[in-house]
Amino acid sequence: MTAVDSVDLSIRPGEFYGLLGQNGAGKTTTIKVIVGLLRPNAGQVGIGEFNTWENPTEVKSRIGVLPEEFNLYERLTGAELLDFTAAMHSLPKDEAVTRRNDLLEMLDLTSASTKLIGDYSRGMRKKIALGAAIIHRPPVLFLDEPFEGVDAVSARLIRGLLQQAASSGTTIVFSSHEMHLVEKLCTRIGIMVEGRLTIEETPAGLCEVTGKDNVEDAFIAAVGGDGVDGSWYDG
Amino acid sequence: MIRQLIELKVRLTWNGVRHDVQRRFGFPIATILLTWLGVWLASRHLGLTTDLMAANPRAAAGYAGWAAIIFFAAWVALPVIIFPLDENLDPQQLAVLPISSNQMVAGLAASSLVAPAVVVPVALLTANAIALGDAWWMIVPASLVFVGLLAVGSQLFSAAISAILRTRRGRDIATFLILGLAAGSFFAYRSIATTVQEAGITEAVLTNPVTDWAIALPPVAAQRAIVEAASGNPGAGVGFLAIAMIWLIGLSYIWRRLLEWMLTTPQEGSRPATRARRLGMATGPWGVVPTLARKELRFYVRDPRQRLVWTGTVIFVGLAIGGTVMGASGFFDVRNNDWAPLAAPILVLFVGLPIALNLFGWERNAASYLFVLPTKPHQLLLGKNLAVAVALTIETLILAIGLSLFTGFWNWTWLVFPLMISAIGTQLAVGNVVSVLTPLRLPREGTDIFAQSTEQGCLAIVSQTVSFFTIGLLLVPPASVAALTVSFGGVVSPGFTAAVTIAWGLIIYLVSLALASRLLRRRLPEVMSWVQIV
Repeated sequence: MTAVDSVDLSIRPGEFYGLLGQNGAGKTTTIKVIVGLLRPNAGQVGIGEFNTWENPTEVKSRIGVLPEEFNLYERLTGAELLDFTAAMHSLPKDEAVTRRNDLLEMLDLTSASTKLIGDYSRGMRKKIALGAAIIHRPPVLFLDEPFEGVDAVSARLIRGLLQQAASSGTTIVFSSHEMHLVEKLCTRIGIMVEGRLTIEETPAGLCEVTGKDNVEDAFIAAVGGDGVDGSWYDG
Repeated sequence: MIRQLIELKVRLTWNGVRHDVQRRFGFPIATILLTWLGVWLASRHLGLTTDLMAANPRAAAGYAGWAAIIFFAAWVALPVIIFPLDENLDPQQLAVLPISSNQMVAGLAASSLVAPAVVVPVALLTANAIALGDAWWMIVPASLVFVGLLAVGSQLFSAAISAILRTRRGRDIATFLILGLAAGSFFAYRSIATTVQEAGITEAVLTNPVTDWAIALPPVAAQRAIVEAASGNPGAGVGFLAIAMIWLIGLSYIWRRLLEWMLTTPQEGSRPATRARRLGMATGPWGVVPTLARKELRFYVRDPRQRLVWTGTVIFVGLAIGGTVMGASGFFDVRNNDWAPLAAPILVLFVGLPIALNLFGWERNAASYLFVLPTKPHQLLLGKNLAVAVALTIETLILAIGLSLFTGFWNWTWLVFPLMISAIGTQLAVGNVVSVLTPLRLPREGTDIFAQSTEQGCLAIVSQTVSFFTIGLLLVPPASVAALTVSFGGVVSPGFTAAVTIAWGLIIYLVSLALASRLLRRRLPEVMSWVQIV
């Protein structure tokens, strides 16, 4: 089975790129290939001038990743996880402590910073994972479903943080099913269908191409989901 | 419903064998090894029972009781002591299905018997039936009850330990519980072996009649039902069968209540913030390798299973002391040898094996977090190796000093340092390559933290056995030089031995580090996918 097929994706510096698709379309696989967690059978992938498979360390030092399943170290505290990540990115100790404390405060996790991550709620895990993804201020951020399962307050906090990162020139690649956020945040959208990238447009361009009023309707039309009516109970 | 759970287990096993490379290799290996073990045990049991029946039927009955209780204890305790040998369906995943607790317990017990390990009790029970085979009308139900006791007993025991590990205080005491169990098993083994050696098997079972305790020992009750029926006492046979069945129902009830509690009670949270936690990781050595090592060391303490691994050294201290106290000869009789402390690095090698040979398996799903960090493969290995080396050094020194104090010999204690470097370097050298080539997936920590597939457990044992022999072979040169220094008239100077052993350990380690780093760089996605829990 081919998960991702012939994807030709180029994201420009400073873009807020929304990678959309139905479940199983290949978004997570694409992100995993880009960050070096899955080896492609063919093709090239990289960040800037660095190829992911030839210069993995250079690529990884320039990216931050918030995966769909956080897979964090549950037996580290929030503060320890941020320290650990900072050390792996070779940040000086003093700088790491300052950034850690600032992030914990901004993410409203200061009081939970001494708890093990295993005791965190899903929203808290999402926030600490985001903190770990950005502590080294990477020029490129990959976010897989950053708003899934978080409450409204945390969602607003994460959204603010991402807008701040985007305005400071960070390139953000973002996969989400929250279409209103995609519409609000993204400068360009790519839609994947069965492992292929079928459309790349700005949010307005996507609406224009599909003849719809908003990104949600445009997305459904683009993936061929117009005919789905969910009438199973009637039968 | 029970049939459906059995079918689920069959389907999971079959799908695992079809789609998982480790299981594709592990399953036949496990089946062959376990069949061999079952046939060997069965033939021994058959021979011994037949001989005793001919010589002294009362002794044969006594031996049959002992065989039942020893096998039951081993079957129940082994998965917990040496880690998983059997795969259980996770009750957590069945909790929302419309099945009653009784159905769940019956289904889980029955499905636990869908595993290659079952060839061992089947072979033994067949031999048992052949040896005591005058009352088939009783052999069949009593054997079925015995199998039921094995299934329920092992599940109950694993569930009980898992339940203890869910509580904060329990995570601390479980370590000592399991160590006590291991030490108790060893002392029981030594005691039985000594008694049999001194008195002979006939006298030993006649003077220690375990069958008198059949009412309190369910497997003995099931076995005695067969023996009584075969001896022409059908009434007594039925009575003991009833006792065994009551025990089976009672144990099932306790297991059911335990499962109900575990499925409805969340795990206890971690302990309140300690000073170390308040400081994060910003105090102490900083940098990629030391911080990675510190992360590992935290997990050695915080992860109950890793803590069990590292405190395993107590077992070996127990073995050494136990063997000495009991006056056993050979390996454990170290009292009169001035080189006794030098055994410490070799003994401690056993302790770290599950971690040193599976550096990435313990990461579980967090491997995907670790592997997107800009850490070079050699840094990953160095960090993890540093943590293992620290733990092994501490344990080696404690054991060496303990042995020196116990024997009163200190003249060769200093030589433990160079030998330790050689031993740790060699173990890490083999461990790095094995960790990258055959990382082993560890089970999810659910309601049964000991759940793992038999074939994977067996593959782990095979991999660790082969690796251990490789480590042993690689240690022959430094051990030989050390032997020529402390024995054989000291033909090699101690200084030369120290230099050679240190150099040997470092060279082997550095060669392996270079090789394993290259392998890890190429195989990083494979290592990640192998250790992740789906």
